[in-house]
Amino acid sequence: MAMKILNALITGLAQGSMIALVALGYTMVYGILKLINFAHSEVFMMGAFLGFFGITALGGKDAPLVAGVGGTLLAMFFAGLLGMLVERIAYAPLRTRGKGKANTRITPLVTALGMSVLLQNLAQLLFTAQYRGYPQLLPIEDTRKVIFISAFSVMIALQFLVHKTWMGKAMRALSVNIEAARLMGIRTSRVISITFITGSVLAALGAVLYCLDQSQVYPTMGVVIGTRAFVAAVIGGIGNIPGAMLGGLLIGIIGEMTKLTAYSGLQDVLVFTALIAVLLVKPTGLLGKASIEKV
Amino acid sequence: MSPSTLGDGARTSRAASPNPLLRRILVTLALLGAVVGLEFGFDTLVPDVALQQLVLFALVNVVVALSLNVINGMAGQFSIGHAGFVGIGAYTAAIVAGHIHKALGVDDILFSNSFIVMPAAILAAGGVAAIFGLVVGLPSLRLRGDYLAIVTLGFAEIFRLVIATAQTGGDVEGPIAKFLAYLGGQNGYAGPDRNGVPQYAGPFWIFGAAVVAVIIAWRLKFSGWGRALRALREDEIATASVGVDPTRYKVTSFVIAATGAGVAGAMLASMRNGNPTVQPDQFTFAYSFDAITMVILGGSGSVSGAIVGGVFVTFTVKMIEQLQRFESVQALQAAYPSLDLNALRMVVYASVLIGLMILRPEGIFGEREIIRRKPRQRVSHAPPEPLPARTEAEANPESETGPLTGKAEK
Amino acid sequence: MSALDLQGVTKTFGGLRAVGGVTFKVPERSIFGLIGPNGAGKTTVFNLVTGVYKPDSGSIRFAGEELSVLKPAQIARRGVARTFQNIRLFGQLTVLENVLVACENRRRSGLLSALLRSPSFFRDEAEMQRRALELLAIFDLDKLADETSTSLSYGNQRRLEIARAMMLEPKILLLDEPAAGMNYGEAEGLKKQIRWLRDRFDLTVILVEHNMQVVMGVCEEIHVLDHGETIAHGTPEEIRKNPKVLAAYLGEETPDEAASAAAAEEEAAT
Repeated sequence: MAMKILNALITGLAQGSMIALVALGYTMVYGILKLINFAHSEVFMMGAFLGFFGITALGGKDAPLVAGVGGTLLAMFFAGLLGMLVERIAYAPLRTRGKGKANTRITPLVTALGMSVLLQNLAQLLFTAQYRGYPQLLPIEDTRKVIFISAFSVMIALQFLVHKTWMGKAMRALSVNIEAARLMGIRTSRVISITFITGSVLAALGAVLYCLDQSQVYPTMGVVIGTRAFVAAVIGGIGNIPGAMLGGLLIGIIGEMTKLTAYSGLQDVLVFTALIAVLLVKPTGLLGKASIEKV
Repeated sequence: MSPSTLGDGARTSRAASPNPLLRRILVTLALLGAVVGLEFGFDTLVPDVALQQLVLFALVNVVVALSLNVINGMAGQFSIGHAGFVGIGAYTAAIVAGHIHKALGVDDILFSNSFIVMPAAILAAGGVAAIFGLVVGLPSLRLRGDYLAIVTLGFAEIFRLVIATAQTGGDVEGPIAKFLAYLGGQNGYAGPDRNGVPQYAGPFWIFGAAVVAVIIAWRLKFSGWGRALRALREDEIATASVGVDPTRYKVTSFVIAATGAGVAGAMLASMRNGNPTVQPDQFTFAYSFDAITMVILGGSGSVSGAIVGGVFVTFTVKMIEQLQRFESVQALQAAYPSLDLNALRMVVYASVLIGLMILRPEGIFGEREIIRRKPRQRVSHAPPEPLPARTEAEANPESETGPLTGKAEK
Repeated sequence: MSALDLQGVTKTFGGLRAVGGVTFKVPERSIFGLIGPNGAGKTTVFNLVTGVYKPDSGSIRFAGEELSVLKPAQIARRGVARTFQNIRLFGQLTVLENVLVACENRRRSGLLSALLRSPSFFRDEAEMQRRALELLAIFDLDKLADETSTSLSYGNQRRLEIARAMMLEPKILLLDEPAAGMNYGEAEGLKKQIRWLRDRFDLTVILVEHNMQVVMGVCEEIHVLDHGETIAHGTPEEIRKNPKVLAAYLGEETPDEAASAAAAEEEAAT
């Protein structure tokens, strides 16, 4: 039993770090635009498909290293492009239109949801609804190690980006006050694009890692993982990068632990219950800071 | 002062009609006559069964949109789990209607019996949904904005998943597990004898529900209560500073919206010729999304907008389905057999939606209504004591044009 | 008898002590000034009095009742009304609707009678509207009653905010920088209006203001804060001479300088 729990813990950590990668995308966009980017889950799904085609094209199983690394990079590149496109099409126009009116605040939420529906069905149209097996590049234990190591190095890199570089400083400035940042000479639309690109690149990495572990790719996969990642971001405190990591790990571990019990079907129920419980105790998430509204 | 039935009155003091009470009674009778007429004339009016279905479904969606409009449109809160409330109403109504129908012992669905079954089903559905609305609304004591949205989503998903994943086969123990098993899990609930939920809601009930919903929504919007809610949407702190308790108004709006959704659910469950089973899959996030679309597309905060949005979304989805009849589409399918027409339909729908929202972020109507209310005829009264003229200089602007005073505008 | 009584009120944000042990009494029916350099904690005091923030310690008593345990809406209903430094109107509502919201708490008929459009609903609406229009007429806004409040000029928005606060029939009116952005003439007008409001509605006015022309001209008693601490209290004459106040304002305009500047302006204008 102890062994089982330990195993579940390890699997949970691997799963969780992968979820955290996706959660980062939600958190970064929310931090800057105060927008729940519902299309993010579908960028994740597209990333998985792109990775699948990339890996297959580069030789798949016959050349695991080249195919694995090359396919992942390809997926990250195109997912980044897709993320930027999503922002330009569905969100950017709304930043200037209908500004300042209280009854247009929910509109970006609708275009975000619309984008998510669009991408999901586009994938259905392009790739059909069938499930495809991912090429098994590595034995499963090694895959988990790879997931864990790459996820953590990426998160450290992201912390560096946000706290030590000019671009990171600009991102943080935008998250405090977008207008003031603009007045200080920051090209806000560019920073926003880069934020979307970064989030999408991470999602694609998470997607390829996820598929290497779970070995299946299909157009509706974004919904399941997207929801969990989103919940992870909120539990950790949306807008907060370490929070997304913490939330991701928690969700991963909760998920694997549920599988040990008789209620494995209730995994997502438990995830949502945990979410509501956390929000009720700490309304801004575990690591989120309550912002004092200046009156 | 003239009270009128379609509640234009909130701030009007129009020339009094001869007998307001008489007018009210006449309008009520006319509306009642219209829905009774529809009950019996619907088949003649709309012979196509598929179209009948669509019309009824559109009306149910109008009720859903009107109820969501109270939270999302007027109060400016984000609720993205409205399908949960509709689902709760549908399950409750199905259980109540199923049992009453069984107790009545008449197999046929009689119009006269619907007056026993439907009120009970509607009351139960609305009541249970209201209780859940209170449970979900209470967190709004502590949460604001997007976090609240997430809680509503979480709640709706928990509701759906608990029912969908419930163990149904074999021996289940404990009252809760037994109840969940009774609800039929993924396959859905089909009445106490599993032979379908009795479909008592014909045009009379569904048109009637839509009309009542419109009247209530209108009167809510054009009352002090609706005004306070719109103020709350604009600025919560300022609203509190004038003595309106944001929490109370938010929670009340949640309860009202949930009740409306519950009633819509009751209609959905008992809809004539509709789906005789209530299934968890009817109440996924996709349905919540449709509801949001109806409200925002029509114009958030607008009653007319919710009506138009509800009808528009229902029919658009269907209309794109009808495109399959076109030869060019069929030729396309022949050329590419693997073409997923359903996916194509959703791609078109989503693109149109995004385009529309970018062109008109405030929705088709914004906050306005189709019927423009007449400008108020104010009783002119002498101002009691005007504020002292601001200054002499201000009273005679000509005398003050010096460059240093900066008094150019005005 | 004092209208408002603050005893050792303290509030910290994170590590910053915004208000530290502030104690003062506001005499009834007075016009009371709360001044100090930027960041002195004046607006925070307003937010504490109106319940937007809860004090960490100390007591705020109004008519013998402790305010710090009440919610903002409850405090407003007790008769403490305010305006905001950065004007917070209900943007998409009309001028009339803005004012009507402020008497919503006084409505006798409930939600049900609104749904049924019962006679009491119409009675209440008509009565509320009559009062609102009367008040708007006082502020010379009645002709703009159907305009959305965002379309008003800056000065009209400021006046509408005061009108909205007055709809509560307050016993205390807290004005947060009402003279901000006003020129000399408008500020002179404001002085008259404040006195007139006090006399006409029999209320206590507390004023946070940077414009010394207004503060020194209209206030009967002044309390000076710096870095959240009290540094002086007294009549305008006393404050003007207080060396601590002068020191606090060093680098900024001193009250004296402001007054003389105002006087100079006055000469220039005539």
